[in-house]
Amino acid sequence: MSKFNFPSIKETNDLSNLRKEVRNFITTSLNHKEFEPSADAWVFSASPEFSKKLGSMGWLGMSFPKKYGGNERTALERYVVTEELLASGAPVAAHWIADRQSGSQILRYGNEEQKKSIIPKITAGECFFAIGMSEPDSGSDLASVKTKATKIENGWKLEGRKIWSTGAHIANYMIVLVRTSPASENNRHEGLSQFLVDLSLPNVSVKGIPDMTGQRHFNETLFDNVILSEDALLGVEGKGWSQVVGELALERSGPERFLSHFTLLESFINEFKNILIKSGSKLIGKLIAELQTLRRMSFSIASMLQNGESPETQAAFVKELGNKFEKTMVETLREFSNIIPLYEWPSQLQNLFEDATLRIPSNSLRGGTTEIMKGIIARQLGLR
Amino acid sequence: MNEELGIILETTSKILNKHVGHKLRQNIDNNNSDLINLWSEIEQLGLPKIAVKDKFNGSSLPLSTTLPIIKLSNNIGAPIPLSETILSNYILSESDINPPSGIITYAIDVKNLKIIGNEISGELISVPYLNLTNKVVVITEIEKTKKVILIKNSGKDKELKKNFLSEPRYNLKLNKCKILDMKPINLRINFKHLGAIVRSAQMIGSMEKILDLCIDYCSQRKQFGRALSKFQAIQHQISEMAVELSASSAALSTITNSDDFYKNKKDIAILKIRAGVAAGKVIAISHQVHGAIGFTQEYELAYFTRNLNSWRNDFGNESYWEDLLGKDFLENNNQNLWEYLT
Repeated sequence: MSKFNFPSIKETNDLSNLRKEVRNFITTSLNHKEFEPSADAWVFSASPEFSKKLGSMGWLGMSFPKKYGGNERTALERYVVTEELLASGAPVAAHWIADRQSGSQILRYGNEEQKKSIIPKITAGECFFAIGMSEPDSGSDLASVKTKATKIENGWKLEGRKIWSTGAHIANYMIVLVRTSPASENNRHEGLSQFLVDLSLPNVSVKGIPDMTGQRHFNETLFDNVILSEDALLGVEGKGWSQVVGELALERSGPERFLSHFTLLESFINEFKNILIKSGSKLIGKLIAELQTLRRMSFSIASMLQNGESPETQAAFVKELGNKFEKTMVETLREFSNIIPLYEWPSQLQNLFEDATLRIPSNSLRGGTTEIMKGIIARQLGLR
Repeated sequence: MNEELGIILETTSKILNKHVGHKLRQNIDNNNSDLINLWSEIEQLGLPKIAVKDKFNGSSLPLSTTLPIIKLSNNIGAPIPLSETILSNYILSESDINPPSGIITYAIDVKNLKIIGNEISGELISVPYLNLTNKVVVITEIEKTKKVILIKNSGKDKELKKNFLSEPRYNLKLNKCKILDMKPINLRINFKHLGAIVRSAQMIGSMEKILDLCIDYCSQRKQFGRALSKFQAIQHQISEMAVELSASSAALSTITNSDDFYKNKKDIAILKIRAGVAAGKVIAISHQVHGAIGFTQEYELAYFTRNLNSWRNDFGNESYWEDLLGKDFLENNNQNLWEYLT
């Protein structure tokens, strides 16, 4: 079990000061009505203006090297900033994927030209990314992707489809996982590569797919013989699988896995505090215990990332536990509607609650389903 | 410090692994010479007085040091009152009473307790390991002052409690039992907090062992022509145990890493809740994947799960701490939730 430890990391004074700074910034933005707090804001609530503002504060690409326009701050500092933004329901969806995973992926695997041309724009909040992993016939079984890139003179030809790409309609780039050579008989993970695709290229078409709440964030992207230059390849040809696994650790371990609906919980408590004191302290205590544990685990992972480790299994723990927590939280509030009927809740709270109820199922899908998380853990336990 | 702890852990592990087997657990009694030998080696190593002050011939190490040792002892499944003795000696030492040598246990639940002169009468409830020692630290309130009372009793009025636990517990009637020493408790210390932390560490040590037992058993046991571990349904159940365990360990590492950990009511509550919730799931899943063999005395799983059943109720169950934590936030703070958490 020692490999699943989550060492306790203390929040230093510097981090607490940064927290206050971000909090003040958010309060000011709220006072100026620059945004309306929303649930699941990192998926649904995009504001390129707000992203740009965060960029100018130095809060995007925080850990990136200065020579690419980054701020060379720590993963723990980035953690604190993202937590504050999520807890306030700020509109962070536009830059979320670029800041969370795509930028790091380019810094880790990209060539000098890719780094120089893209990283400064991510840090400025002016360049957004979408994820190109799933396909119509490849979901949980990611290694079965059929989109392929074929070598041509001076570049590559890309053909296929990617689906469920959140925010592709506002993104500038997509990191696309494709086949560049057939899978070998005993290793399906061979022959995959990652490409950095400019979504404004000819023959790329992005089509929205309304989700069950009626909102658009999902997209299907068609690559109809898109001509890519040679340097669109990200990292090493054929090593796409190991690259994508590292990317997923970034995707799964962050505080968005348990703070997506925090604004709902906090508004609920603020509204009904007097009633909760009499009859709800146990329920609230239970939620606090779980939430605080998740924060510690996720913060601990940020420190592992800072130390250059690849906490893929730990990320699966946080994602699995975080999904469960969010479900439990919404259920707890639902049961409370026996005491105060839903129609007597303030309308903003009703909206947050209804949004959360509808959106909760997607939490255990994006970034990998529960079954996949448990499979990853089982493999580490030596069961597979 | 860390190096010193490393050496202690290594030595403790050697001693425990040498002596502890499932047979030892089935005869927890003074007449079991193997058990007595084990204890005397533990005593030679100085573990019982590891957190006792210098002036009482202890090692004077911070109590947080003892958590990994206690956790290890319950991971190996040593049927000895190590945590009870360490805690009893600690509370005595901190309350300025010289701890006696040998095994000692504590009583925190009492009925009709009366003290007249130098004698105490009444009933002590659910006292652990009373068959291995006649020394008890009673921690209770007498005339509105919390007191630490050291007694030695003949043990003739003790009654074995039927309980969940693999380890023995007794109710003990005291009839004018002589008090060896009595002092007001050191007010810095909340014994319930300490107990909750220690029981959580014990639960986590046991759950780590249970996870290993499940992995080993399911990898070896074949049904339908393949190892149980190859069934996805089994894999997912065991993964869930690992998730629960990792969350509990994270809560424990927060406590061990904090400076004055026994004052940190919030984190103690979180730890006891998290470990208690995990224990419930681990008990259910581990028995499920083991089938009937896990439900026998001859196989060691039940030794660990029975202890979990009991420890999750000691020093406040999940409900107790959830209520306390919820009230701490709702009643005593003008903060919103996010401020409270951060």
